[in-house]
Amino acid sequence: MWFLLMLVILLTNGMSAFGLKMIAAWGLPQTVKYPYLTAWYAGGLAVIALPSLLKGMRVGKKELFWGAVAGALSIGGQIAMAVALSSGVPGHVVFPVAIGGSIFVVALAGRVIFGERMNLPTALGVALGFIAVVLVGVS
Amino acid sequence: MGLLFCFLGAISFGLLGTSLKAAERSKADAAGLVVAAYAWPALLMLVRTLLLKPGGHVPAKVYVIAVTFGICAAVASLAFQVSISIGKVTVGWLTMNLSAGIPVIVSVWMYHEKLTVLKISALGLVLLSICFLFWGQVAERRAIARNPAQGG
Repeated sequence: MWFLLMLVILLTNGMSAFGLKMIAAWGLPQTVKYPYLTAWYAGGLAVIALPSLLKGMRVGKKELFWGAVAGALSIGGQIAMAVALSSGVPGHVVFPVAIGGSIFVVALAGRVIFGERMNLPTALGVALGFIAVVLVGVS
Repeated sequence: MGLLFCFLGAISFGLLGTSLKAAERSKADAAGLVVAAYAWPALLMLVRTLLLKPGGHVPAKVYVIAVTFGICAAVASLAFQVSISIGKVTVGWLTMNLSAGIPVIVSVWMYHEKLTVLKISALGLVLLSICFLFWGQVAERRAIARNPAQGG
């Protein structure tokens, strides 16, 4: 199950932002990103909500709260990166620092807050993955 | 000043991963959480779109692409949320970020972008990292099978 989930994440998450690159290549006006993002979120919302509603999904206060927290942090991260880029920091610095740094924060929280321990191969995988993500950002 | 915002971005995204694990620990429903996490920005973007000056034509292909990749993102979010209930948040979060290697490959194929030594090295490390993460998971499962007390 875990391996399948990792495979699904690898194949779907990376491609999720690729559409912005495609519409940028079509040379459409900047304002097209708003209807694009509306449809992007609505499509994602529908594909999870419809089958889940049939299975008795719960969207209570807990889900709404954590959903709002996640949304605010996501937007906060995007705004911080946009400000960094617009203040002249090159993309090959902004992306590796923001993405690589986030992995460090999550790893620290995983250990300190959630008490997650890693065996040697996992720790090596995380270390190599950290370098890989930074290199992908730089390239 | 710009660098400070880079670090703020890192902290913000890091706290995002941490908050999703906290939501899992508080027994929030994974699908419900993803729905809520998509509903807020969908609403915001809808309002922003309605505030645009009328008259701008948006080609149908934009919506097709948007819905297709939005579905990809939501499936990934749900898979991540389920994965952190049975695995480590660090590994799940890292896998989310390692997936950035996939569009690099697609860009090389689709837009004939140059495959530099740096890109090849990065993709090689992505593969190597995934192998180690999978090996670590297999080793952990075996250790738990030998000593179930470790699984808690």
